[in-house]
Order: sequence, then C-alpha cells, then structure tokens
Amino acid sequence: MDMMISNLQQQRQVTEQLRREAAIKRISVSQAVLEIMKYITEHEQEDCLLVGFSSQKANPFREKNSCTLL
Amino acid sequence: MASVGEIKAQCPAESIEALSKEAETLKAKLEEERQKLNDVALSTVAERLEVINYLNIKPRRVLKGHQAKVLCSDWSPDKRHIVSSSQDGKMIIWDAFTTNKEHAVTMPTTWVMACAYAPSGNLVACGGLDNKVTVYTLSLEEDVSTKKKTVGTHTSYMSCCIFPNSDQQILTGSGDSTCALWDVESGQLLQNFHGHTGDVMALDLAPSETGNTFVSGSCDRMVLIWDMRTGQCVQSFEGHQSDINSVKFHPSGDAVATGSDDSTCRLFDLRADKEVAIYSKESIIFGVNSVDFSVSGRLLFAGYNDYTVNVWDSLKCVRVTLLYGHDNRVSCLQVSPDGTALSTGSWDCTLRVWA
Repeated sequence: MDMMISNLQQQRQVTEQLRREAAIKRISVSQAVLEIMKYITEHEQEDCLLVGFSSQKANPFREKNSCTLL
Repeated sequence: MASVGEIKAQCPAESIEALSKEAETLKAKLEEERQKLNDVALSTVAERLEVINYLNIKPRRVLKGHQAKVLCSDWSPDKRHIVSSSQDGKMIIWDAFTTNKEHAVTMPTTWVMACAYAPSGNLVACGGLDNKVTVYTLSLEEDVSTKKKTVGTHTSYMSCCIFPNSDQQILTGSGDSTCALWDVESGQLLQNFHGHTGDVMALDLAPSETGNTFVSGSCDRMVLIWDMRTGQCVQSFEGHQSDINSVKFHPSGDAVATGSDDSTCRLFDLRADKEVAIYSKESIIFGVNSVDFSVSGRLLFAGYNDYTVNVWDSLKCVRVTLLYGHDNRVSCLQVSPDGTALSTGSWDCTLRVWA
C-alpha cells in the first residue's frame, strides 16, 4: 500500500511538472534566434577574444618584453 | 506568441493510470507545440553574417604547481586572479599576470572537484569527494587554511558550486542528483532542488542583476532551469545522448549552451523552448568537459577529452579554430570576467591562459 502511495505521488509530481511546462509561452525559433543575433552584434566590439586588441599593448596578457641591463 | 491550449481539467483522477495517460498526452502536445514554432535553422538565419576568418588567440601563460589533475578553476572578479582545485587535494590561488602562487590550501580530501570565487573576491569555496562545500576567507596575513567554515553537506560528492549574487549564499550541485542553496554564515539549507535522476555535474546562473534563475546539467542527460526562490523546475530540455558535463548561459540570458560525453555541444533557447543548434563534427569523438561563451556570445569555447579546445562560431555553427597546448584532457575552461582572456585547466596538471 505504501509503495502504491509513493508511486502515485511520483506520478503526480511528473504530471504536474509537465502541466507547468505545457503552459509556458513560446516564441518561434526565427524570432528567438534574431534576438540572440541582435545581442551578439551589439556587443561584438567589446569582445576582445573575437575582435582582438587595437594594439597588443592593450592586452593585459601580452608577452612581457624582457629587459636587458646595459 | 503561442501557448499550449488548456488541457481540460479533469476531476482530480487519483489513479496512476489516469495521471500517466495525461503525462503522455502532455509530452506529445509539448513536442507538437515546439515543432510548430521550429520555422528556421539558426545557421540559416546566420548566413548573412560575415565568416570569422581569424582569431588572434595565443597561449600566454602556463600555471604550473599542481601535482595531479586540475579539476576546476574560477576567475576572480578582479580579472587577474584564478583559483584552481586538483585531484591532489590542493586549492591554489594564482596571479594570472605574473603566474605567482599567492595561496595554497591543502584540503583533507583528494578530488576537489569544484571551486569558486565569491563576488567580493575575498572568499573562495571548494569541495568534492568529501560531500561538503567549505568556504575559505582569503587573507594576506594569516594562513588561509585556518579561516574556513563548512557550509553544507550532500549525501554524495559535490561536483560544482557557485555564489549567486552575493557572498552570503552558495549554490551547489551534487552526485546525489540534487542542487542546494545554503546560507554561508549559518550553514542553513535555504532551498532544495529535486528533479534530476542522475548526478548533477554543472550549474550556471542566469546573467541578470536580480539573478533568480539557474541552469543545471546532469548525467541523466537533462538540462533543467530552476527558480531559486521556489525550488521549482520551470523548464527542461533533452537532446544529449550522454552525460552533460557543463552548462553555461549565453550572455544574453536567453539561451544555454551545454557540453556532453556524447562529443557534442548544444544550444537550447529558453524562449523558443527547444534545442536550436548542435556543435559537432564527425571527426570529434571525444567528450566535452567544459564550455563557455566569449563576452558577446559569438564564440563558444569547449574543452575536450582529446586535449584540445574547439572554438565554435555559435551562430554559424561551424568550428573557427582549435587551441592546442595541453598534454591531457581539458577538464575546465572559463572566459575572464572582462572577456580579455580564456583560462583552461587540464589533467596534465597545468592551467593555461590564452589571450
């Protein structure tokens, strides 16, 4: 009897979860993708790994030049 | 906008059969609704963008010091320090600019699978096979190992941890298939997240000022989106054919990327409620351990068991380049907070910084 009750509870949880998910409002893939693309193009210039640095001096991890003592 | 039509509310049918039948109907309806909105492929829309020809990303630093596999790492919010944890039981704090080790803490356990910086940069948390998450206060005067506090305990290993928004709370994922939110000061469990049926391997927070949502990936192949306040799973995604090892939100907050043992990375859009891209190649047969986006979200970095990092164009769904350098599996990778560099950690005991 206990087994039955916990199985029932489990099934109820699964079904309630699906009900919640079914009620979500969705937008079309084309619209969703356009919005992601918009975000990316708006932020592309700040993306150092993508566009690089105007000069390597601006790169905090640039190769350190070794100095020689004359 | 479309939503699934109301399912006729039946009188609460208490039988398991009625509930499972309803569940089957709901699953079919979900698939149908998602397909109806699947009007175009991401790569098709991205055709009008220019191809990324060249990336000037080179290895700039090698951090040597761990004596065993590096399992996890995290950048400090100061964009300069990195915390790393290893199978040798050590947690090391590095200055990535100079490669100096600033602190080294020995944990009473091996396999420290997770480590994370707090938003202030003053605390770090770590844990693993000890089933616990321990928080350390970083101090220049005292030995860091003396200022520690055990915050939470799971019933199995802790695989990932992250500070959501403040130093006061910490979120953990565990081999016991649950996630948990803890109060750092009191150690109290604030919220439990049940839903996965396999080990939780990865977590990430939604990038928003209010930050009340997070994503988890598990060995049960599911990606779940959670509401931190209610403990409820608000969305779920399937598609991977094997364990999910890594999950990361796209900087826009509208999608999540995942990396899996099935050798693919995928992109799931939260508002379209479905998978919108797969990043894979026939020649790539090794599992992905870690993924992260560049600042704009255009590049997706992924670390593989074949020792390489593949850099994907997230929109055109093609690989842009490969980063070679490690002599063993890439176990973790992360873009620095200001996006100037990428750190990678490996079973070859080193970390590398690329910029």
